[in-house]
Amino acid sequence: MLRYVIKRVLTIVPVILGVSILVFGFIRVIPGDVATVMLGERATPENVARIREQLGLTKPLYEQYLIFMGNALRGDLGTSVLRGEPVTQEIIRRFPATIELTLGAILIALVVGIPAGIISAVRRGTWFDSLSMLVALTGVSMPIFWLGLMLILLFSVFLHILPTGARLDGATRFEPITNLLLLDSLLKGNIGIFFQTLRHLALPAIALGTIPMAIIARMTRSAMLEVLNQDYIRTAHAKGLKERAVVINHALRNAWLPVITVVGLQVGRLLSGAILTETVFSWPGIGRWLVDAIYARDFPIVQGVTLFIAIIFVGVNLVVDILYAWVDPRIKFE
Amino acid sequence: MSTVWTKRLLVLLGLVAILATVAACAAPTAPPPQVVKETVVVAGPTKIVEATKIVEATKIVEVPKVVTATPPPAKVQDTFIFGAQGEPVCLDPAIITDGISGRVINQIFEGLVKFDKDTTNVVPSLAEKWTTSDDGKVWTFTLRKGVKFHDGTDFNADAVVKNFDYWQNTKNPAHAAQVKAGQTYEYFEAQFGGFDNDSIFAKIEAVDPTTVKFTLKEPQGPFLNNLAMFVFVFWSPPALEKAPVECANRKPVGTGPYKFVEWKANEQVTLEAFADYWDKANAPKMKKVVIRNIPNNSARLLALSAGEIHGMEGLEPRDVAAVKGNPKFKLILRPANTTGYVAFNYKVKEFQNLKVRQAFAQAINKKPIVDSFFGGTGQVANQFQPPALWGYNKDLKDWTYDAAVAKKLLADAGFPNGISKVTFDGKEVPLEFWYMPVSRPYYPNPKDIATAIAADWAKAGINVTLQTVDWATYLDKRKNGLLPLYMLGWTGDNGDPDNFVCYFFCMDAKDTPIAREGFVADKEVSDLLKKAAVTTKQADRAPMYQKAEQLIRDRVLRVFIANNQPPLAFTANVDGYIPNPTGTEFFNTVVVK
Repeated sequence: MLRYVIKRVLTIVPVILGVSILVFGFIRVIPGDVATVMLGERATPENVARIREQLGLTKPLYEQYLIFMGNALRGDLGTSVLRGEPVTQEIIRRFPATIELTLGAILIALVVGIPAGIISAVRRGTWFDSLSMLVALTGVSMPIFWLGLMLILLFSVFLHILPTGARLDGATRFEPITNLLLLDSLLKGNIGIFFQTLRHLALPAIALGTIPMAIIARMTRSAMLEVLNQDYIRTAHAKGLKERAVVINHALRNAWLPVITVVGLQVGRLLSGAILTETVFSWPGIGRWLVDAIYARDFPIVQGVTLFIAIIFVGVNLVVDILYAWVDPRIKFE
Repeated sequence: MSTVWTKRLLVLLGLVAILATVAACAAPTAPPPQVVKETVVVAGPTKIVEATKIVEATKIVEVPKVVTATPPPAKVQDTFIFGAQGEPVCLDPAIITDGISGRVINQIFEGLVKFDKDTTNVVPSLAEKWTTSDDGKVWTFTLRKGVKFHDGTDFNADAVVKNFDYWQNTKNPAHAAQVKAGQTYEYFEAQFGGFDNDSIFAKIEAVDPTTVKFTLKEPQGPFLNNLAMFVFVFWSPPALEKAPVECANRKPVGTGPYKFVEWKANEQVTLEAFADYWDKANAPKMKKVVIRNIPNNSARLLALSAGEIHGMEGLEPRDVAAVKGNPKFKLILRPANTTGYVAFNYKVKEFQNLKVRQAFAQAINKKPIVDSFFGGTGQVANQFQPPALWGYNKDLKDWTYDAAVAKKLLADAGFPNGISKVTFDGKEVPLEFWYMPVSRPYYPNPKDIATAIAADWAKAGINVTLQTVDWATYLDKRKNGLLPLYMLGWTGDNGDPDNFVCYFFCMDAKDTPIAREGFVADKEVSDLLKKAAVTTKQADRAPMYQKAEQLIRDRVLRVFIANNQPPLAFTANVDGYIPNPTGTEFFNTVVVK
C-alpha cells in the first residue's frame, strides 16, 4: 500500500511538468500581448516595448520557462503583472473561498444525491424513481448561470431571505485567519459571522451542487441497480434479512466504488474553480480570478493558478485511489 | 420489499430540507440559540462540530454575548454600497487609468483643482486660486490652509512638490520601484509630455508653505483640465514613502472625504468618513462607503433589487427602461463623454478616395441604430467631441443618410457594382468590418451595432464580412494598423477637446501617418490641432477645434456614430449622486435615506 502511494505520488511529477510546459507554451503563442492589454486603447509602441522589456518577455522562451519553474519549485509563482501581487500569496488568500464553496456544493450533492439514488434503485419504476431521475436529468442539463440568476431572483429579490452573493454582507467587517470563514468565525467565537457565512454560501452552493447532485444520484442508482440484481442479494433476502440490512450492509457497500470515482472527479472539478457560479454570485474564488487573468494576459497568474489546479486535481485523484483500497480490501495495488 | 426504510429516508430528506430552510429564514433576524444548534448538526460534518467544541473550551465567555448580538449587518443608512463592474487595478492614483480604481481614488484623494459637479469646468480643490503669466508658462497656485492628510500630516506646498517629483522623476525611489515592478505612469506621460527632461515642466517650486509655482517649457492649452484629472491627486508624502511596492498592499492616504479601510480582493473596498475633512460644508454624509465588485450585470441589478447595494454602474441597455419605469429605482444618466466611431484604414486603397469614404458615411442610418441599441441613453454623433465639450461645433451639419446617393458616389468613384473586395496593403481581399468583442460605454452592443451598420451598407452595395477576435488581440491589431475597417471609440479623460481630437489626428514631428489610427495623415488638421494644444486661452482655442471638426467631417476622415450617456441605477432612497462626464464622481454628497 505504502509502496503504491509512493509510486502514485511519483507519477504525478511528469504530469505536473507536462502541464507546466503546456500552460507556459499556450499562453505565449496565443495572439495579443500583455503590454497592449495593460495600456488598452492608449498603447503607444514605446510604452509597449518598455513594458515587454520589464516583464522579461524579450528573453528567449526556454529561459523564461526555466526561470518560472526554478521559482515555482521554491514556492514562488511570480507576481501579477497588472496588480503586482505575489501569485502564491494570492492563491493562499483566494483558495479558501473556493474550498468553502466546493464543500458546500458537494455536501448538498451528497446529502440529496446519494439517498435519492438509493431510493430510486430500491424502488425502481415507482413514481419516486421517475421523478427523481427526471429532476436529475434536468439538473445535469441546467445552465448554472441561469439557475443561479433564478435562485437569486426567488430567494433574494422576492423572498428576501438570502443574499445575492459575496461571502459576507457589504457592511460587515471581519478579520479572517485562514480565510475559511466558517472555520474562522468559530475559531473567533463569532456565531453571527458563522451564520452570515452560511446564508451567503447557501445559494452558490445549491447552484454549484446541482449538477454534481444529479450526476451522483444517477451514478448511485445505476451502481445500486447492478448490485441489487446479483445473486448474493437474493441470498440475503432469502436468509430473511431485513430490507435495510440488505441495502446498507450488502448492496451499498459494493456500490460505493463507482460513486466514489464520480464524487472524486466532481470534487476535483469544483476545486478547480467554478467560474460561472463565482461570477453570478460575486464569489471571490480562484476560478473567476483565473479567467480575469486570462483576459488580461496576466501570464504569472495564469501559469501559477493552472499549475496549482493541476496539482490539486492530481491530488484528489490520488486520494480517490487510496479510498478505493479502504472501501474494498479486495483491491490490490500492483 | 419493505418500504419502512425508504420512508425513513424520505422523512430524513424532508427534515433536512425543512431545517435548511429554517436556518436560512431564521438567520436574518436574531436566531434563537436552539435553532443555532440544530443548524450546526445539519450542516455539521464532524469537523465543524469539533471546531465549535474547541471554541467553547477556549473562549467560553464570548459565545453567549456574540449569539445575542447577531446578526451583524450594520444599519444600512450608515453605509453607501456601490456595485462596481470589476476589481480596482491599483489604489495608487498615479499608476492607474481605469475608472473602477478611479472611483475609489476619487473618495480618498484630492488634487489642486477638480471638475465642477456635472460639468468639465475646472474649479478649486486643494488650491484656493491661481494666476497665469501672460505667456502662459508660469502658473502660481495658492493652497488652502488647514488641510490634513488622513495620517495627520499637513498638506502644504512641499507635499505638492514631492508628489510631482514622484510622478515625473524616474530616479525618485518610489517611482523607480513601480517602474521596476512593471507599472507605468501613463497619464502623466500622456498629459505632461513625459518624464525627467521630456516633461513640460521646467521647474516646480514650493515658494512658501501655501504657494506652488509651476514653470512650463511651453504653454499648454489643457493644463488646468489635466490637473483636474482623477490621477493627479496627492499622497501624504510619509505614507507614500512607506507604501509597499505591490498594488494590493499599497494603502492609499490622501486628504479626501473618505479614508481607506480595507481592500478585499475580488470582493470589496471599504472606506470610512474622515472626521478632519477640511471642507466642512461638504463633509461626508455617510459613515461608511463600500464599493463591491459584482462582475455580472444581471446579478448586480438583482443585488440592487434586493437592496443589498444602493447604486450601480454597468446597467444593460435592455434594463434601462425597466429601471426608469420602476419607482423603487432612480436612473441617472452621466453626461456623454464618449464617442463611438467607424474608422478607415488608409492602407486600403479604396479608402483613399474621398467619394468612397463619403459613400460609407452616407449609407449609415445612425438614428435607428442609436435608438435601438443604446437603451435610450445614446445620442447621434456628427463629430468627435460630445456636445458637453467647449470645442464642440454646433453648426456642423452631418452627412445625411441616403443609400441612393451613396450608391451613386460609389459608381462615380469607379465602383458601379458596389464594393465587396478591396486592395489592402497591396493584396485583394474581401472587405472585413471589425467589431469589438466587448461592451464599452461608447458601444454597449458592438455586435448588434455592427450588424445593423453592415445591413445599411448592404443597401448601398457595400458588402462587408463581420469579424472580431478577443479584446487583447483586437487592440493589438488596431495598434499595428492591421484592421481595414473597424469600430472603436473613446472616453474622454480630462474634458479638454485636445484629449479627444488631437490624440487621434495629431501626427508626430515628422508627420508620419499614424499606424494606430489606420495610417490617417491629414497635415492641415494635425497642424491646426497642434497649434490649439499650445494656446492657453479657451476663447482662442475653441474656434480651432470647431474648424478641425469641420475639416474632419468634410474629408470624412472617420465616421462618428454615437455619444452615449452611461446609465447609473440607484435605489429610490439615494440622494445627492452627481454624475460627471469624466466619471470623476464624489460620494461625500451622497445620502441613503
